[in-house]
Amino acid sequence: MSFPPPFSRRRMLQTAACGFGGLALADLVHAASPTATQLPGFMPRAKRVIFLFMAGGPSQMDLFDPKPFIRERHGQKIDSPLPPQVIQVGTEKYLALREMAPVRPRGESGMMISDLMPHLASVADEICLLRGMNADNPQHASATNQFHTGVFTEVRPSMGAWISYGLGTENQNLPSFVSIHAPGVRTYGSGFLPAAHQGTPLTVPLNEQTLPIENLRNASPSESIQRHRLNLTQRLNQSLAESVRGDANMEGMIQNMELAFRMQTTTPRLVDLSNETKNTLELYGIGGGKPSDRHGRACLLARKLSESGIRFVQVTMDGWDHHGDIRGNLPRLCAQTDQPVAALLKDLKQRGLLEETLVLWSGEFGRTPWSQDLSGTAPIDTHGREHQPESFCAWMAGGGIRGGMTWGETDHMGYNVVSGKVHIHDLHATMLHQLGVDHTRLTWNHLGRDFRLTDVHGSIVREILA
Amino acid sequence: MRIAVSVFVVAYLPSIAFGVDYERDIKPLFRQRCAPCHGAVKQEGDLRLDAGALIPKELHAELLQRIASEDESTRMPPEGAALSEQQIALVKAWIDAGAPFPAYEVVPRSPAEHWAFQPIERPAVPKSPHEHPIDAFLFRDGAIPTPASSQALLRRVYLDLVGLPPSLDEQDRFAKHADWQRVVDELLARPEYGERWARHWLDVVRYADTNGYERDAEKPFVWRYRDYVIESLNDDKPYDRFVLEQIAGDELPDATVETRIATGFLRLGHWDDEPADPPTDRYDQLDDIVNTIGGAFLGLTIGCARCHDHKFEPLSTADYYSLVAVFNPLERPRNGRTEEPLTIGATEVYAWREPSAKAPPTHILLRGSATRPGDVVEPAVPVVLVDSQPSFPVPDDKTTRRRLGLALWIADEENPLTARVIVNRVWQQHFGEGLVRTANDFGLMGSPPAHPELLDWLAHWFMHDADWSLKKLHRLILTSDAWRARKTADSTIRYRRLEVEAIRDSMLAVSGTLNSKRFGPAFRPAIPLAAVEANTDKASVWKPSEEPEASRRSVYAFIKRGLVIPMFETLDLADTVSSCPQRQVTTVAPQALTLFNGEFTQKQARALAERLLNEAGDDANLQIELVYRLALCREPTEPERMQVRAFLTDESLEELCRVVLNLNEFVYPE
Repeated sequence: MSFPPPFSRRRMLQTAACGFGGLALADLVHAASPTATQLPGFMPRAKRVIFLFMAGGPSQMDLFDPKPFIRERHGQKIDSPLPPQVIQVGTEKYLALREMAPVRPRGESGMMISDLMPHLASVADEICLLRGMNADNPQHASATNQFHTGVFTEVRPSMGAWISYGLGTENQNLPSFVSIHAPGVRTYGSGFLPAAHQGTPLTVPLNEQTLPIENLRNASPSESIQRHRLNLTQRLNQSLAESVRGDANMEGMIQNMELAFRMQTTTPRLVDLSNETKNTLELYGIGGGKPSDRHGRACLLARKLSESGIRFVQVTMDGWDHHGDIRGNLPRLCAQTDQPVAALLKDLKQRGLLEETLVLWSGEFGRTPWSQDLSGTAPIDTHGREHQPESFCAWMAGGGIRGGMTWGETDHMGYNVVSGKVHIHDLHATMLHQLGVDHTRLTWNHLGRDFRLTDVHGSIVREILA
Repeated sequence: MRIAVSVFVVAYLPSIAFGVDYERDIKPLFRQRCAPCHGAVKQEGDLRLDAGALIPKELHAELLQRIASEDESTRMPPEGAALSEQQIALVKAWIDAGAPFPAYEVVPRSPAEHWAFQPIERPAVPKSPHEHPIDAFLFRDGAIPTPASSQALLRRVYLDLVGLPPSLDEQDRFAKHADWQRVVDELLARPEYGERWARHWLDVVRYADTNGYERDAEKPFVWRYRDYVIESLNDDKPYDRFVLEQIAGDELPDATVETRIATGFLRLGHWDDEPADPPTDRYDQLDDIVNTIGGAFLGLTIGCARCHDHKFEPLSTADYYSLVAVFNPLERPRNGRTEEPLTIGATEVYAWREPSAKAPPTHILLRGSATRPGDVVEPAVPVVLVDSQPSFPVPDDKTTRRRLGLALWIADEENPLTARVIVNRVWQQHFGEGLVRTANDFGLMGSPPAHPELLDWLAHWFMHDADWSLKKLHRLILTSDAWRARKTADSTIRYRRLEVEAIRDSMLAVSGTLNSKRFGPAFRPAIPLAAVEANTDKASVWKPSEEPEASRRSVYAFIKRGLVIPMFETLDLADTVSSCPQRQVTTVAPQALTLFNGEFTQKQARALAERLLNEAGDDANLQIELVYRLALCREPTEPERMQVRAFLTDESLEELCRVVLNLNEFVYPE
């Protein structure tokens, strides 16, 4: 990658008759995200990541990791494996709670997937199921922070920001990191990294009134008025920019306004699904009234954004926090998400993109094999499950990960990981590795110390690499 | 596996030989993996590896051999993983290239010699033709920089001291009679001064109106602390007293309701009302206090010593837990998950309480683990900062008075850090960059002062001549020629984007809709629907205030940790969880969208257009003149006037107002 010498851009600004009009587009965006670091590393297997975040903590036992020990003791007390200082509410009886629907072997590999996810089951041979996931915090906020940034409370860059910083942008009209339905600023923040790597939060419009990005809609009555307004602004700004030649912020402000202007045009075009074929819409389960409509739109948009070169696209699908009535709630969530998620894999595959796109599906933690009943009096069939970071399931697909593989085992009740443990740090290290980045060398010096996404931890899970 | 690795190394080596870079590849590696034992703090084997100049050439061979050794007993570093093959290859490549390092590299000094830990003495003001001591230090015999225009200076000093632009009357008055000293004094006497400068202190003390975490509940009556800061600044409360009140306002002999409100400082941290691990959570809360005390008052990163002796600063776990012991007697008033205020007389006060004068024992926690208590420690201050420990007062009949002991030591003139740290903060806010660029870190890893003698002179003058008066310090700085200079790429005073509060407040002032109501519970500005989309309680999570409440100054806006006002967040509000020494100035597309299309700017542009019509009538020339004077405090230049006139032939006045509020000059004042 070659950058034009910095003075040329300024000189153009000074000499171009109409200020900004004459400036090369590519020039602008290199300036807008100048810190893409080309790290020596490995041969990348993936170019981009799509992270499907199941906020709330899906129940791994019901979906991927059923336990006969629990099924046989349904409704009976089991021994608590919890250390004494851990206090849970509503689980004091430690009643075993069997899976909500049959979980069966699928595909050639015989990977275990619930009947609640028939669409995912049809692409079992594409995915690598991680059954030994492990995190450190049983609370949503902290666990979500850990999953996205590696730490619970401190403000650190999120993984998308690290990846944007490590790999730079592929598309100069769009940001390099987009988060659809983001669950809070920490999950897309850039922390101490330059702000150009911050994720752009985006809402999928379900109607004409909603904007995909805040304030994206032109506030002037027409685009030509806005262009007119922008031109005047930029021209008037120019004299100040000239008087402080070399001030990166001031130039940044000017370029920024131009990128923002272009995003007004590029983003709605990407978000607009009106030109999609009927087949595509059906594949994703998009359609008014369908339970999968919202996430279907989000997954299709994720594919389009990823295809247009965005390095890290996150789609958050929330509602998995089933403390009560998991029997009623879990099938509902599966109906909302199963078809869109499987469609994304099929669509990437048919477009030849799956090989270079790493897809990750996970919640911030899993749920207990024993039941939870906050009322203390409800019948077992309306109980839910408590949070469980000690073990849970995630899966990866594409991007040089082995398909049809199940990695990691938990104990007889599905509480502790007994083999193939993948801690969040290991997951991060592996993801970066597939992108061709050594997680120990992707660093940023902050307050006198080099920080990494994986801090001082993380080992690559080599067993799952294709 | 083995094969894959060696293929990788072979493939990798050529690029190393090509591009090993000391600053990028070697120094960070040595600082991280070697300097904890071979650095400024510890020098095992009399060896230091934390700067290129300190690594003797004759040890290169042994260095390589030790890091590559497969013998666990001789391998370096002995703790943690061995260096990777690629790291070893990098070190080898660097040594093979002659171990080059930049000539300008600063060699960290041993802690005892560290500049910031030395007593503050007053250096002589250099002999100089410049009368003002700041100019004498900065420019010596050199020329005074070109001053900014008087119009620019007026706008600068208004935005700087009160965060609002001067009115037309004020501009006229100054144009007729440019009495600088008088302008400065009048601004310092205005209540808006406290509203502007309190916000910086609120950043430093991690102020927010809610607790964060799952429920993110409102901190009851916490706004009284915010008002206390505003009033303290307006009253020009001496800084040493300000310190005493916030740490130990309840233990002072002359404690009042106000000084108890001040101790709300200790309770501003985020708080988990349903912790998974209560003992650890308790230490997290104490850690929040110790960390903030370290950063805010002392400029020290003490928190790093929670789990192990600080690797880069001369601070031990004993130092850390001795400070924890100071705050361990505190108890958070609560009823289950719900926080409660204290009631002092008829006033609800958001503060901790000390239920007893008998302190619970405080242990050093091994590796920071609440379940592994080690030796018991007593209250003490970091050993490296004192020759002998200050004597802590004995408990009285109500409290342990441990905090009073610590506060008296921090607020003492002999403390080497307190005055340096606050003087630097004030300098930073005026000039855009501190004399020490790391305002919360004066330790070994912090950046060294740009003008050490000036900093010490200011700190000494501040304590002994100004009697800790912040207003006197402002006055001294604002009357220097350095501060009144034109801003250029290398002037001492820097271009810096206004904080979001000053941008928002300036827009309100210019449009004529600012509501100057002071104090009391916070207001909630309107936010876009999309901002609450992710919340489960969309309907109730944010109830926006009605006008005119919604047009109050930004310092009174409700700061909810879990849902920061999007305009504030986009324009770089401070991190709400930990002490923020200086706002970031980021430049991302959503900012441009916020200012260009956002509801708030649109509303102000409409109001401003109406104002122009009312005050300037239909004459486009008068409108243009007025909008420039209101927003930028100057007349338009001739080319500007022409361009704007041309624009107005096609577009509305409202569109023009949007342009003006979006000008870089509006947010980057000269």
